Amino acid sequence: MGESWFRREFLTPRRLIFNVGFYGLHLFFFAYGWYSQATNTRLSALNGLKWSVWTSRGAGLVLAFDGGLILLPMLRNVIRVIRPRLAWAFPADENIWFHRQVAYSMAFWAMVHTTAHYVNFFNVERTQVRPEIALDIHYTQAGGITGHFMLLIMVLMYTTAHHKVRAQCFEAFWYTHHLAFFFMIGLYSHATGCFVRDDAEPDYITSFPFYSTEHCLGYESWRFVIWPGIIYFGERVWREIRARRATRLSKVLVHPSGAMELRIIKPSFKYVAGQWLFIQVPDVSGFQWHPFTITSAPEDPYVSVHIRQVGDWTQGLGERVGAGPSVVQSLTQAAMKGKEKDENSQYGTRGDFVELDPSYSARPLPVVRIDGPYGAPAEDVFKVEVAVLIGAGIGVTPFASILKHIWYRQRKGTLGSLKRVEFFWVCRDAPSFGWFQSLLQEVEAAQADPNFLRINIYLTQKIGEDMLWNIAVNDAGAEYDPLTLLRTRTMFGRPDWNSIYSRMRQAVETGQYLPGTNAQLRTKVGTYFCGPSVLAKSIKEACVANSSAHVNFSFAKEHF
Amino acid sequence: MGNLIWHEYARFVSLTASAYTIWAAFWGVLYRKFFWDFVGGIVRNPGGIQPNPNVSVMITLIVKAPVIQIFAFVLGCAIVMVEYPAPFLKNTIFSRSLLVKTMMLLVQSVLAILFYQGTNGAIWSLVAMGCYIRAQMLGEKVEEAKQNRGRGGKA
Repeated sequence: MGESWFRREFLTPRRLIFNVGFYGLHLFFFAYGWYSQATNTRLSALNGLKWSVWTSRGAGLVLAFDGGLILLPMLRNVIRVIRPRLAWAFPADENIWFHRQVAYSMAFWAMVHTTAHYVNFFNVERTQVRPEIALDIHYTQAGGITGHFMLLIMVLMYTTAHHKVRAQCFEAFWYTHHLAFFFMIGLYSHATGCFVRDDAEPDYITSFPFYSTEHCLGYESWRFVIWPGIIYFGERVWREIRARRATRLSKVLVHPSGAMELRIIKPSFKYVAGQWLFIQVPDVSGFQWHPFTITSAPEDPYVSVHIRQVGDWTQGLGERVGAGPSVVQSLTQAAMKGKEKDENSQYGTRGDFVELDPSYSARPLPVVRIDGPYGAPAEDVFKVEVAVLIGAGIGVTPFASILKHIWYRQRKGTLGSLKRVEFFWVCRDAPSFGWFQSLLQEVEAAQADPNFLRINIYLTQKIGEDMLWNIAVNDAGAEYDPLTLLRTRTMFGRPDWNSIYSRMRQAVETGQYLPGTNAQLRTKVGTYFCGPSVLAKSIKEACVANSSAHVNFSFAKEHF
Repeated sequence: MGNLIWHEYARFVSLTASAYTIWAAFWGVLYRKFFWDFVGGIVRNPGGIQPNPNVSVMITLIVKAPVIQIFAFVLGCAIVMVEYPAPFLKNTIFSRSLLVKTMMLLVQSVLAILFYQGTNGAIWSLVAMGCYIRAQMLGEKVEEAKQNRGRGGKA
């Protein structure tokens, strides 16, 4: 990366505040844990172990803090509810990033805590401050057993969470991460062995929490950190209940490009444009929930998702609904043939989608369950005057819903402050997203005001000679673009964001862009991006560089 | 299980286990203790476990002189270099052969189980070994390392 680590972590105000707050709190808890152990006269026998016991107590308190934090960013429903109110205070869409920061910190402090305890128990055995040997504490007492188990679970969870493994086999990550349940049990019960005590033998009692706080002098941190765990568990139960509400897969459409469109009817499912959901098909896998972007608008009578058959789960789903790879392939070929036949018509079509008739196959359509919706920043498009929607590659999917939604709102005349929409689609090869093109065609054809929605398509792949000739011959003077069949021309190569934004700024400032706007008001231009982070960075830089007294460019990125 | 490439996954576990073993071996030099000394040993107050004279070889190699710990330390560093892989080991037999890695992990877990701090390192090494064995059973091959073709984001 171009910029230095120091610049990124310390010279960006938001990041600086986070770093100081996050790591400052960690150091504070460590210092407090150390201090309260070292100065506690009732624990003077333990304090004979010196620095190692102070370190382990300090690190233990930090780990309790992390154990409480780690689940907070995973409370998806809570985040969805509080996001609109607190979006200014913290980046609610960076929840996975925060989850990872806590995890890294947890790994570090676990190392400190474990190292210190290995020294502690060594010295307990040597000095016989308690009548037990080191391995007794490690492998026969609650603290040691849960500790070693948590370390093993951490190894499995961290290694399978590597982005490479997640990309190869999401299930390995998904199932292994549910070891978190046992991890959390281990965390909450880690102190039940009453290691921190003022007498030689632990003081157990028969009632909850089964040790006496008279003599067991731990921090009792589980009383605090158990709450996120309980809320998370409740949320999972709630998600399960919600997923079981009446849901019906009404239609499966196969698009010639190979994408399946599932139209699902679930009256209790309320969402806004740009959100995503989890889908489960018990016939394919009883446990797996897969995230997909919603491609229908809230006004539609159904919820639709577009699924391309790329992984083993999506292929399994294709087989199950009777649209396996072979079917899709023949469909695509048929569509191509159809295109050839239509050659002498005014312009070719990509072939229409095909609805799978459930009565045609022996098995009825499978049961599906959906869970969601979950948030995304593109809900905010109606608060800005100009919305710049940028989708890169497959990242274009959330904009299907947003564009449809804008179209519905346009018809109803409830666009809010939104005056213009610039839609950018950057992709390597447009034809692989045929279904999206047909949607764009509809939206484009429905535009009454030619200036409201502008579609810009950039094709970044290297063009072969055949394609070059194809474009040169077919493009000149044709009403529709030969590649996308849109009225908008396809542009080739990567977009130069800086010049795009500076031109937009000039146009806004001179009043050409938004006729009738008062130049004294600051125009808000919101950019909504979905795609790879390298591109996000360059767009964000262009946004920041071009913000002026009259035009405010804001930037939001979506995550999957 | 999906399309998990086992040897790529095993690499992460192996790196973790080796890093743990290196750190454990370092502390094992400072606080020397034979893990299995409770077998036949007696507990003295103060002084801890007095090991059985039958295991005096291990006491010599671990407590009197930290030979095992130093071996484990060096081997752990070697595994990290092979797995990472260090530039001079790229595309050599060490970083490409799953069998070599399995053997190194086996030795590491044997060494690590001997001293007090190494238990988890030994268990995790066994886990990594299991994944490598699974990779070999499935007939996975280590892909040719990519030449310097530049990284994403850089021209």
